[in-house]
Amino acid sequence: MADLRTYTIIYVLLLVLGTGKFVFFEFDFAYSIAIGGTILLAVAKIGLIAAYYQHLIEEPRSITYMMATAVFMVFLLTIAAGYSIQ
Amino acid sequence: MADLPPMTTVKRWLVTTNHKDVGILYIATAIFFLLLGGAMALIFRIQLWEPGGVGILSGNEFNQAVTTHGLLMVFWFLSPIASGFANYLVPLQIGAKDLAFPRMNALSYWFYLFSGVLLIISFFQQGTFAGGWTMYAPLNVPTYTPAMEATTGGNAVILGLMLFVISITIGTVNFLVTIHRSRAEGLGLWNMPMFTWSWLLTVWMMLFAFAALLAALLLLVSDRVLLTQYFATDQGSSLLWAHLFWFFGHPEVYIVFFPALGIMFETFQTFTGRRLVGRKWVIIAMVLVAVQSFLVWMHHMFLTTINLEIKTLMMATTIGISLPFDLMVFALIYTMVKGRVRFTTPFLFSLGALVLFILGGITGVFLGAVVLDYEFRGTYWVVAHFHYVMVSGVTALVAGLYYWWPKITGKMYSETLGKLNFAVYFIGFNMLYFPMFLAWETPRRVFHFAEGAQTYHQVATVGAFILGASFLIMILTFAKSWVSGPEAPDNPWEFSRTAEWAIPSPPPLENWDGRPSYASGRLEFVEDSPAATDGGVAHGQGNQAEAGIEHEEEHADHASIWPFGIGVGTFVFFLGLSGLTPYIVDFAEGTPNPPEGLTTVPEPSMLYPILTVLGIGIMGVTLYKFGMEDFEVPEMNIAERWPFGGVGNTKFGVWVFLASDVVVFGAIIGAYVFMRIHMGWHEWTTVPFASWPGLLNTYVLLTSSFTVILALVMAERKSKKGLLGAMTATLLLGLTFMGVKAYEYSVKFADGEYWWYGLEYSIYYVTTGLHALHVILGLFIAVFMIYRIISVDAYLEDHRPVEFFGLYWHFVDIVWVLLFPLFYLM
Repeated sequence: MADLRTYTIIYVLLLVLGTGKFVFFEFDFAYSIAIGGTILLAVAKIGLIAAYYQHLIEEPRSITYMMATAVFMVFLLTIAAGYSIQ
Repeated sequence: MADLPPMTTVKRWLVTTNHKDVGILYIATAIFFLLLGGAMALIFRIQLWEPGGVGILSGNEFNQAVTTHGLLMVFWFLSPIASGFANYLVPLQIGAKDLAFPRMNALSYWFYLFSGVLLIISFFQQGTFAGGWTMYAPLNVPTYTPAMEATTGGNAVILGLMLFVISITIGTVNFLVTIHRSRAEGLGLWNMPMFTWSWLLTVWMMLFAFAALLAALLLLVSDRVLLTQYFATDQGSSLLWAHLFWFFGHPEVYIVFFPALGIMFETFQTFTGRRLVGRKWVIIAMVLVAVQSFLVWMHHMFLTTINLEIKTLMMATTIGISLPFDLMVFALIYTMVKGRVRFTTPFLFSLGALVLFILGGITGVFLGAVVLDYEFRGTYWVVAHFHYVMVSGVTALVAGLYYWWPKITGKMYSETLGKLNFAVYFIGFNMLYFPMFLAWETPRRVFHFAEGAQTYHQVATVGAFILGASFLIMILTFAKSWVSGPEAPDNPWEFSRTAEWAIPSPPPLENWDGRPSYASGRLEFVEDSPAATDGGVAHGQGNQAEAGIEHEEEHADHASIWPFGIGVGTFVFFLGLSGLTPYIVDFAEGTPNPPEGLTTVPEPSMLYPILTVLGIGIMGVTLYKFGMEDFEVPEMNIAERWPFGGVGNTKFGVWVFLASDVVVFGAIIGAYVFMRIHMGWHEWTTVPFASWPGLLNTYVLLTSSFTVILALVMAERKSKKGLLGAMTATLLLGLTFMGVKAYEYSVKFADGEYWWYGLEYSIYYVTTGLHALHVILGLFIAVFMIYRIISVDAYLEDHRPVEFFGLYWHFVDIVWVLLFPLFYLM
């Protein structure tokens, strides 16, 4: 389990990344860049929370695979359904 | 509460958490629902005696009977009876003393029972749901569909189904933790008995598939009770339902069939006296089917407006899924060829199931082809096909009843009666379903058909009564056995090899005298030294005492009334919710922008708000008592745990639950994405009045995540003050989040923009509302934990509950990471 210092650094990072999403849309970025950037920031945030706050990096890898499967199911449903009406 | 009352008392069945008792409860209840669903079928088969019906049912009553028959059979009979077998047998087959979470197992059963009671009550609430078991939109919602109306009974059915899915989810978590973490020493996954294998894959499929159904039902309940518009618009609503429902619905076919398949594998091995041919390949084939089952769902949507490319792709994947089944069928046939068959009743039913399944499978290939499906869709070909598949599963499940009856009851049954049962069953089955292929042009779900098909329908109706009679013979056979059958030995079948046959019939409460072990390559019962106890009651204690070894006996509890209590509370709450629609309609009509096209709704009845509040009260008390109860469940010290070793049972359970919740939330977020794509991405109206409340709540929730992790650090340092401070800060931050959310909603309400104002509004309020509900549930847990810290210095010695709470709270935070940009920025 990480120490308090690590948790604090991650907290600050999360605040910065959260603000970053807001900045993308409040300032004059192209819509596609704002969306792409926001997705990247969101993935980074989720990764940090899951890896460190939920301690996924310290758990057996199989837990990560199980959660990745759940996320895959969501992408499968959403992307295939979205594509089906193109 | 440790000691169980005797089995002859009612109290025993209300308090038991033992896996075998719960298994019996599941099986008995499922058979009751089978009879109820069967009665529905007999009623509408009479109506189908002649074109236009014989007049015993009105149009709406016919719809209700057909719908309820489908719902009862698919949901309340097929999966639960398999669940009953799994409850009873899986712990025995893997060498465990019980499931990982016995109280949750009992809770799962009570939720199941009460969900069925909700369905039964719906008949007395102005009529039950009548929109078909697939609940297609927009027939499933009251708005804009005057024919259906917002009957309270319809709401009760949907809520009942939701409670059923919650029951399934709890059971899924329990079985995954049990099978992955409580296998006897030396019992690797490859060597697990075939029924346990089939159930393991079933629960993995359930975990993801039922989560999608739960998401769909949450949205549907929201539409029916709160008047949101997910499934009421002409902007992709019906497609959205079809995607969500069939993403669940197709894996559901294998979810109900796999346990039956597992029974076929077991009985074929036992009654041919031969190990399953190609056993390893059969397991691989089952794994393949489980994976492929999530890749074919749009073959149920060939007649919708989805594009031809995806239809073609789904046709290919559908054909692909038949291949592993071919392998399994051939494995069964070759097992028979290579073995020496004993035609006992269980084997006859299993063999019958195989024959019927082959026919059902082949006729399904027709429906998998896009062009043929254009013709067959919505006809009796479909009805005949899926009954050949699903009821062949039932046939194997009956085989399971006969196979394990001696083990469960300790009594043998009459083979003569059993074989008579099979003969009547098989004749009735084929008389009922085969003529449907011949009358295939008959449209589904109506009682009007061409006169030329009348003979086929009359044969089918006669067949239905013969099939029904076969179940009476089955009940008679079992009743006779129960009353006067000879005692069953430990193993009445010469070549059965699984562990349940190595112990008495019926098995003792804690299953084993020693610790089961396969370390030597065969089943043995090991007497452990105190240093390596399996956590159960240690044997040879006298010797240990003589040796002067101090050993505190670990004790397992088997009784708790609180799962039943929570079941009652939830039932009352859901029943209350079913009658709230008229109040919401009254409220909506008093706002500046009421929803358009509301149909007639029942008069408000005060009974329902009272029940809702009462239900919340009962749930509050019973959940508190459940949380406070001292209930010992020893974890096995020596067990096979691949691939989930290195993480405790409860933590693994929390992760499995979160995996399910990922799909629930993911499907709801997916619904947002789908509807927005359907509308045109840039046509979307952003609902929140500004983005700053979203940003503010992002900061608040991130900070609360930090305080939760701080609480864990403090608990590890055994600092009560620090732990209390961090948990209190989390609570306050959660309340702040809710305060900001309330302000945000109130600004919209002031402008008359409620959740029925438009599709975007429905999606915004429901998605963020569901997230807020997660926050509220988390806050209740936080309050409980703070109370425990103050009152008994909790979590300082064992900080794991703080970590488990954190896992949930961080998940809620992760969801917000997605909701903020989706609803406030994009």
